[in-house]
Amino acid sequence: MHLPEFTRTTTFRWTLVVSGAFTVCILLMFGFVLAQAYSYMTADVDGFIEGIATAVVARNPDRRAQRVDEHLAVDPHRVKLGGLFAGDGSRVTGNIESPPAALPADGRAHLVSLIRIDGSERERQTVRAVARRLPDGGTVVIGRSEYEFAWIVDIVERALALGLIPALCLGLATGAFLSVRAQRRVEEVNRRVQRIVTGELRERLPTQGTNDPFDKLAVLVNGMLDEIEALVRSIAGVGDDIAHDLRTPLTRVRISLERGRQNARSVEQLRATVDQAIVSLDQSLAVITALLRIAEIEHGRRLSGFRSVALAELVREVGDLYEPIAEDKKIALVVAAKDEVTVNGDRDLLFEAVANLVDNAVKFTPEGGRVELSLSQADDEAVLRVRDTGPGIAESEQEFVARRFYRSEKSRCNPGFGLGLSLVAAIVKLHGFRFAISPGPGCVAEIAGQRTPG
Amino acid sequence: MPRVLLIEDDRETANEILAELVDRGFDVDWAATGIEGLDKARAAKADAMIVDRLLPGMDGLTIIEAVRQERVRTPVLVLSALGAVDDRVRGLRAGGDDYLTKPFAIVELIARIEALLRRPAESRDTVLRVGPLELDLLSRTAKRGERPLELLPREFRLLEYMMRRKDQLLTRAMLFEEVWNYKFVPHSNLVDVHMGRLRRKVDTPDEQPMIHNIRGEGFILRAPA
Repeated sequence: MHLPEFTRTTTFRWTLVVSGAFTVCILLMFGFVLAQAYSYMTADVDGFIEGIATAVVARNPDRRAQRVDEHLAVDPHRVKLGGLFAGDGSRVTGNIESPPAALPADGRAHLVSLIRIDGSERERQTVRAVARRLPDGGTVVIGRSEYEFAWIVDIVERALALGLIPALCLGLATGAFLSVRAQRRVEEVNRRVQRIVTGELRERLPTQGTNDPFDKLAVLVNGMLDEIEALVRSIAGVGDDIAHDLRTPLTRVRISLERGRQNARSVEQLRATVDQAIVSLDQSLAVITALLRIAEIEHGRRLSGFRSVALAELVREVGDLYEPIAEDKKIALVVAAKDEVTVNGDRDLLFEAVANLVDNAVKFTPEGGRVELSLSQADDEAVLRVRDTGPGIAESEQEFVARRFYRSEKSRCNPGFGLGLSLVAAIVKLHGFRFAISPGPGCVAEIAGQRTPG
Repeated sequence: MPRVLLIEDDRETANEILAELVDRGFDVDWAATGIEGLDKARAAKADAMIVDRLLPGMDGLTIIEAVRQERVRTPVLVLSALGAVDDRVRGLRAGGDDYLTKPFAIVELIARIEALLRRPAESRDTVLRVGPLELDLLSRTAKRGERPLELLPREFRLLEYMMRRKDQLLTRAMLFEEVWNYKFVPHSNLVDVHMGRLRRKVDTPDEQPMIHNIRGEGFILRAPA
């Protein structure tokens, strides 16, 4: 059988299960009420007919028929039955054709089948009846049909039909509606995911702002898609940048080799050409090495190496490392790290990050300038700051400085591979710290992160 | 004549390295697979080994670990295209072996092999001497002849490292790794600047120079002729 699509959804199946359970409960409840009503009514009827039968037996033999007739006299609903039979089984009076064989004459009420006669009409009925033997050998039978009970059953049936069936239908309809809706959303999501898979990276899953689990999931997936899109775009951008940054030194290599081959008059000249080519090739290799290093850090495989790092000592070490270079360039390198502050991290990587910032600052600050490397704490954060008096970074470029390979145009004349800040950004991200570059008089680079007590 | 075993699966790389080693006067042996390399390493006829980390179906470090278990102590230089310095490599370095990331300059490779072959003896001397240069490890003082040298702690370590490896080419990367303990290669000419300062203290203009800058390669400390 071919069922509509929605019947296969979990929502719809659960609806079926719940509806089924609901129906069973209702039926059990009605069944219990009916059983209780039946036993109550039966006891009532039985007491009544047993009383009449006893009364008939207690009368004088010639007035017994009269008593039976009295019993039958007022009977608008045709529910009363009675019969007085002689010793040979022939009917003396009453509306019962013959004493039923299955009814023992023990003076107790039983459920039996007998034939009611009204004039010429005969009708088989199942009723509560009691039989008693008379001293003269005859039998008296008194009965009453369970007319009220049938009536109650009828009412219950109607109540069920009017209540349960619409409720069930409503349940199933709601289930179907919810299922179809869920189905539609899934189909919509499916369609959009298909488009994303085919390369439409701007596509997002539909959200309705209802904050239901499905919506929350969609928002989560959309966030993930944002990140993926940004990554893919940055990779595409990086591809262009790599091509550019590798092409420049490689072109230099090619030209110098070509010229050297044509123009060199001596081995010495040729050697000089080759030396120059090697320097350019080393630059290309350095670019690739730096890229691999960034990729390695971004993959975050080093988290296990995290331990407590004393930053003041680290800052002083970086200062010692760069002090001679700064002095050669006549730049004042000032290191301020009074308080000891510790963070949880990878010491080598943090050293590399700070060293890169200082390296940049020293490189871009003109002679006679000043570079400040400071460590301070604000609230529960450790703050590493490198401030220089160099040309700074134009506001329009600040957003891009941490992008791989980006080098502010002013610095193009300076050697360096433009990867330093990307490396710093990758290290900071791995640690869950913040990295910000802001314009001071020159340039202020800041790394801030949760400090650890002690 | 020191004998070097090269375990490297790329024939062209192997040929370049072997040719350079032969030019520098080494005896060479080459294994192209891990299995062959393991056999040759076990024979322990080499004075040093160069092992590519990424061999077909095998991590070069596995070979080294297997050989070490058999108490073969041949020093090893591991070559790797992986930039990551993981714990296994750290263990390797602690054992006195070395690690070089591809791509590398052939000069760097040779310098490191030389360093492995001429590992400084564990001397108990507390005073190191090279020519007129004297370094007292206990009092942390240095002098050239009668002239005392005022050295900063880092300069002292640098000079100590160089004196233990006199007459040996030390590349910038080697110095940076061993003296400063940092693995990243700085963009600026950090090592040159620090070396320049040390040089001004060790070699005054009227003295014969002892620290020699080998252009494009590194530095050598030699006693004056």
